[in-house]
Amino acid sequence: MIELIAQAAPEFNPFWGTEPSPEAIWKIFAAIAVGIVFMFLLMRVPTRSRRSIVMTFTFLSGAFYVVYYLWPEPINRGPNDAPSGFVDAGGFFLQDALPKVADIANVLTYLLLCLGIYSLTRIHLGRVVKKQKDWSFSVVLLIAMVAMIAVGYWDYILKEFNDPDKLLTKAENWGGVNYAYDMLFDGLIQQMDAAMFSMIAFFILSAAYRAFRIRSIEATVMMASAILLMVSLMGAVDYQWSEIIKGWTNDQPGNFLNNFNLSEVAGWVKNNLQIPSIRALEFGVGLGALAMGLRIWLGLERGGVSV
Amino acid sequence: MQYLDTGKWHVIFTLLLVFFILFNIWRAKGKKDMFVRRIPGLNAIDDAIGRATEMGRPVLMVPGLGDLNAISAQAINIFAQVTKTAAQFGTPIRLCCANAAVFTLAQETIRDVYQQQGQIERYDVDSVRFVSDRQFAFAAGVSGMIHREKCAATFFLGEFFAESLIFAETANAVGAIQVAGSTQTVQTPFFIAACDYVLIGDEFYAASAYLTREPVLVGSLVGQDWSKIVVAGLIILGFVTNSVERSQPATQKRVDVDATADTEAYTTWEDVSEPWENGKPVLKRRQDTWLFKQFNPFIEQEDVIVEREQRQPAEAGEGS
Repeated sequence: MIELIAQAAPEFNPFWGTEPSPEAIWKIFAAIAVGIVFMFLLMRVPTRSRRSIVMTFTFLSGAFYVVYYLWPEPINRGPNDAPSGFVDAGGFFLQDALPKVADIANVLTYLLLCLGIYSLTRIHLGRVVKKQKDWSFSVVLLIAMVAMIAVGYWDYILKEFNDPDKLLTKAENWGGVNYAYDMLFDGLIQQMDAAMFSMIAFFILSAAYRAFRIRSIEATVMMASAILLMVSLMGAVDYQWSEIIKGWTNDQPGNFLNNFNLSEVAGWVKNNLQIPSIRALEFGVGLGALAMGLRIWLGLERGGVSV
Repeated sequence: MQYLDTGKWHVIFTLLLVFFILFNIWRAKGKKDMFVRRIPGLNAIDDAIGRATEMGRPVLMVPGLGDLNAISAQAINIFAQVTKTAAQFGTPIRLCCANAAVFTLAQETIRDVYQQQGQIERYDVDSVRFVSDRQFAFAAGVSGMIHREKCAATFFLGEFFAESLIFAETANAVGAIQVAGSTQTVQTPFFIAACDYVLIGDEFYAASAYLTREPVLVGSLVGQDWSKIVVAGLIILGFVTNSVERSQPATQKRVDVDATADTEAYTTWEDVSEPWENGKPVLKRRQDTWLFKQFNPFIEQEDVIVEREQRQPAEAGEGS
């Protein structure tokens, strides 16, 4: 099966770029039909059996990536090279199969996105129909969603399929749809994203105020190191302090007191306290992810189902 | 895996860690009441839900922005435990997802929890929601929900990025008890600054073992601890060997030769022509040390030349 997936498709399949062959269209419809039937059957299967089916698929997909990680990668592979032996052939196969396997994951992800859109629509449509509290916001959301999907696709089709000379790359050739898309995406979404992002500055301020209030030894240490790092980045203060140090050391570069320059102390805190702590956390997180991944792959993780 | 570049130690080391975890899972089977140290953030879960129940307000859970992976699966596992308690008390829950695959998993899991608790009639289909897959649209949607519904307890566990502080500060503004934990170490300080309880680093992964005390999970946790000991040992080994070696004079230095059109880069040794510089001996560099060589093997020029037959173009096109 995986060999079929890995070997059957040519490297570049210009399905959407050119006129698709009737055979290709049939294949796609057949694949969609098989997928729907499979999902329907999966939903009909009792929960306990469904679990073993899901576990089998999880194991097989995990096994592919485990083998991909462990198997020696082909060295200096040329476009027309034939494998030189069993190990090389395995490496070739895995390299060819990887994008196809990744495509399966992408297709599944986008199928699930439809479920997400369905959930969003059901919740907000229900709120509008029942005239629940703040239903007007739901109307805005639904209109925005439909408008963005419609205009986005229309603009995409115009640019990708109806513009062979790439005239639409210049704004003077745009039509109403292109302007509408530009207004919705660059004019609204991007700007609103930026507005949300800029709010973080104020949140940092209020969070820092609460965190740095001296309530405990930890908060005091946090506040002291934060002030030290902030002050070390203020050029004027850093300069004045280094001048004082120079006075103490008589401008001798080898003097021990030079270590107390603000930039030196801040650098020491960052390199010897902050970075090792973050590295230690990252080791823990990495090992946790490995253990979790192993449990999921081998079906040892029963998660919420077992509670 | 490109063994030529990385050597075999990476794989051997990974397999050793895998062995530790699986061996301890096997060892823990059948054992009960294994010790897990106290994690305050997880002890606070019951208090937070109790408070939400008393106030008649919902509990909000957010598994972060990540795709469906080990991190979001773990977040959903913890949320299943939270939901279990919430279902017993009849406390309403809200679980907001930014990823459609995570949303589907969360929906299934939460429904299963209500079913297993015998409270399926309390399960609200709209309690698990897909909000948006755009970072700040998601942040705006969740913040709005926190404000409107005045959530009494919030759980932010998973992969968070810049939106972490938006969530945490908004929840703080409505007076919610907050338990948070991110695998993004850069976001942890923000959570520490703004939240009541924070799961730091691998405490996030220890949560399900801590809450369920299932032998498989606790065994896996012990395996992680063994792995940490090995990692710490290697750090000490590296520190000692590098400190000793880098204080020794170099007689040869390792040189990477640039890749040409038909070969990959290979390495070679060059004699150190000037063993003394400014009256001091030239010392070994990082890439000349023993430990570096273990993880970055010496590549001979002939290693990177592989003789292969050429396929016909048609055959090659089919295959690739």
